[in-house]
Amino acid sequence: MKKTAVRNLRLCTKDCLCLYVCPTGATDTENSIIDTDKCTGCGDCAAACPSGAISMVVTHYPPQQQKNDDVKSILTSLAENRCRSERIARQLARKTDRPGEKKLLTAIAISSRLVAEDIMREAGFMLPQSRCTHELLEKILADPPQGFPAEAARKLLEMIEIND
Amino acid sequence: MKYVCTVCGHVYDEEAEKVPFSSLPPQWTCPRCGAEKAMFDPLEEKKERGNDGSTDESPEQGQGETKLSAGVLAAVFSNLARGCEKQYKAEEAELFAKIAAFYTSLSDDDDTDASPESLAALAQEDISSTYPAARKTAENKMDRGALRICTWGEKVTRIARSLLSQYRKGGEELLRESEVWLCTVCGFVYIGRKPPELCPVCKVPSWKFTNVEGGEM
Ligand code: SF4
Ligand code: SF4
Repeated sequence: MKKTAVRNLRLCTKDCLCLYVCPTGATDTENSIIDTDKCTGCGDCAAACPSGAISMVVTHYPPQQQKNDDVKSILTSLAENRCRSERIARQLARKTDRPGEKKLLTAIAISSRLVAEDIMREAGFMLPQSRCTHELLEKILADPPQGFPAEAARKLLEMIEIND
Repeated sequence: MKYVCTVCGHVYDEEAEKVPFSSLPPQWTCPRCGAEKAMFDPLEEKKERGNDGSTDESPEQGQGETKLSAGVLAAVFSNLARGCEKQYKAEEAELFAKIAAFYTSLSDDDDTDASPESLAALAQEDISSTYPAARKTAENKMDRGALRICTWGEKVTRIARSLLSQYRKGGEELLRESEVWLCTVCGFVYIGRKPPELCPVCKVPSWKFTNVEGGEM
């Protein structure tokens, strides 16, 4: 499967071995992002980097695991509750003027969102490339709520290939 | 007798500690994750669980066509933004984030009756019924990914409920000279001067924690 190199800037310690070993100069860029047009996917940079900062990722992602309908349905109700928790915490955080309480409620709001995101990942929305993501965007575009950023949705439908 | 923390699994062994669990002061908290005393269960009873209640098979009959609320759509799209970020697709991530932000503000009109009590009650509802039901379905369908989020999510929800209850009792004093830390991976919340070395729920290192400032939303 075709791969391409990506550099994690958080881990890169600028040891620069990747610059020496890359046969195409793809690793040497002004913004530190490896040039995917030049990269041939040989993997030499990833093998050479002493900081483990480069990973080789596939250019086409495999289909995600199929999800059972019962699992999807129960996880969706769980996510509904966690999103409600996020909302309530956020509203309470806005209202209070006690600094400690504000921080705690803000944390709980973000935390509830993280959990809801993870639940929906397991409910079938793991990959942007999956068909259900496309179908969801198309369904919304067919009858968008007022103010919906339709342009963004249309662009995404164009940019992201379907893998299943 | 031993007692186990239902958030992080820390075991309190009365024999080793030389203090009976019941004699610990009410404000005592788990030395590992900060959960309050009430979050501990006796270790014995733990083995035999899930035998009572909630035996009904999947209560909702959604069959794929469930309508997602604005709040859940916000989570779906912010998660897809995260997915694009992980795949180093910055432009796509930004577009998904834009859609997520739209749904976040759309959902803000709901739940105008927000109160600390309703927040705690919701956590309680999920801990006592929604998570167990989801876990059961995940086990039946042998879906280990779903089982993982049931495990993490339930613990994260437990600590949130515990912190809310600790705040109700202790007020601002609870946060004096402490920061509020959030695990950016699983959502575990921790109050202390420094974040824990490892997240007690999902085990990521401390640099994955962020210091939460109030009012950034
Ligand atoms: S070899 Fe690794 S650490 Fe060095 S510049 Fe390249 S990516 Fe960064
Ligand atoms: S995989 Fe090969 S071609 Fe691509 S950046 Fe690394 S060394 Fe260069």
